[in-house]
Amino acid sequence: MCWERLQAFLFPRETDTWLAVLRIGLGLQTAVYALFLRSDWHYLFASSGKGLVGREVGEAIASFDSPLIPKLGWLVALGGSVNMSEETVLSVAWACLLSAGCFLLLGLFCRPAAIVAWFLHLCAAESGGLLAYGADSFMTTALFYLMLSPLPDRYSFDHWVVKTKPKNPQLLGFWRRVLQVHLCFVYFIGGLAKCLGDGWWNGSNLWRSLIRPPFNLVSPDILIRFKYALPALGISICLLEVSYPVFIWMKKTRLVWLVCILAMHAAIGLLMGLYLFALVMIVLNLAAFGVPDTSTSAHTPLMNRDQ
Amino acid sequence: MSSNRIHAAWFGLHFFLLTAVCLAGIFWLIAQGATILPSACNEYARKAELGATWCLGKEAGPSNPLRRGIATYLHAAGIQAGYSFFAPNVPTKHRLTLELFYDDGRVEYESPHVRSKAAALRLDSLLDRLPEQRYEPVREVLVKMLAFSVWREHPNVKKLRATFGLVNPPSITEFEQGKMETFQPMFSFDFSLRDEQKQ
Repeated sequence: MCWERLQAFLFPRETDTWLAVLRIGLGLQTAVYALFLRSDWHYLFASSGKGLVGREVGEAIASFDSPLIPKLGWLVALGGSVNMSEETVLSVAWACLLSAGCFLLLGLFCRPAAIVAWFLHLCAAESGGLLAYGADSFMTTALFYLMLSPLPDRYSFDHWVVKTKPKNPQLLGFWRRVLQVHLCFVYFIGGLAKCLGDGWWNGSNLWRSLIRPPFNLVSPDILIRFKYALPALGISICLLEVSYPVFIWMKKTRLVWLVCILAMHAAIGLLMGLYLFALVMIVLNLAAFGVPDTSTSAHTPLMNRDQ
Repeated sequence: MSSNRIHAAWFGLHFFLLTAVCLAGIFWLIAQGATILPSACNEYARKAELGATWCLGKEAGPSNPLRRGIATYLHAAGIQAGYSFFAPNVPTKHRLTLELFYDDGRVEYESPHVRSKAAALRLDSLLDRLPEQRYEPVREVLVKMLAFSVWREHPNVKKLRATFGLVNPPSITEFEQGKMETFQPMFSFDFSLRDEQKQ
């Protein structure tokens, strides 16, 4: 009985529309990530003496956690074995990452493109671990889930060209559930941690985050006009995040919570210049909860079929 | 059916690890006394953090295969860190100022820089990590590398002083009174081409 209930929760029948949203969104995210870092790619990931801090320190820290964590140094060593210079290897890695993003966007070679995008982004995020920030973790997680999801979806070129069979709706439901539960963790933990800081209750954290370079896109003179709204906004953010796992699951409140969360991320992107962070969070939310829920309880028909 | 069981088992394990990572992060914040909770909670939080990190295999030796396996999985899935961004409070910004001393007595001021805004955000992220205790062993090396990145653009520089510190922003009231941000030095290093000396 317990297993049946768990199965009904974990394996609802779903269409692949949400997967198409995730694929297209992450394709865009990967392409934008590569383009944003185009002019600094070599400078950030070159070895010591050529770049900003050299990737060796970041790679050494990652290797201390585990030597099995992928890093750009592996690719450079591999390229070195066929006489490719470090610069060439980094250029090829960047071009492959951009191409993988474009392929995902179009839905061409979906699975290989997702694997390449995940692997190359992970290599860059780990080699530049000291330079990484929240957007990188979310991008790795999103590409990890995309890579494991039942690709291709019916909106992709792959489906159009090869006429692939429709994917198992329960498996589609499972991976959407994973994404949904993950987002609930993200917001609950983020909201809880914020609730524990006094600055989110009196508005000072919003003020500090908005005047803190390099996030200070809005002039403090403009912000000061809204100083009485800052405590209310700070508390709203805490409550919105910490209550996300409850209200996003309830159909009556789902749309309101989703719109509020999307608005919050859009504001973070526009007011603080955290475009990549905002984009990946918007994509994840839209894929997880934005696409109309087509799920139906899976266990009854499944049990019948299995019997 | 067995495929469903495998998926369900993976789901349980995956979210168990994510829970441990997130709780370790929350307990660490409490143990540091960075929250509004009373300081009596700090010791309990420290013990709870140890419990959470134990689940992640971090109490095992560095070469323990289970620890390495878990770490590899966490990094591969992008769940090696919790989600307490800008929490419990927005961290203070840090700045690295470089004084460039030329042979002719000239002094110029510079900061490490990158071309794009996206990369500038990452450089900022690096500077904010430098004061953390876990980066203490590599702090001087990192500052030296950042200084060297500027030095390459100014090859005639004889000596270079790197000063790292906190940038304290004004509160709303202070800003209204006309106060601006203040710089509070934390440490500095002197570098020359032949040797370097910590001050």
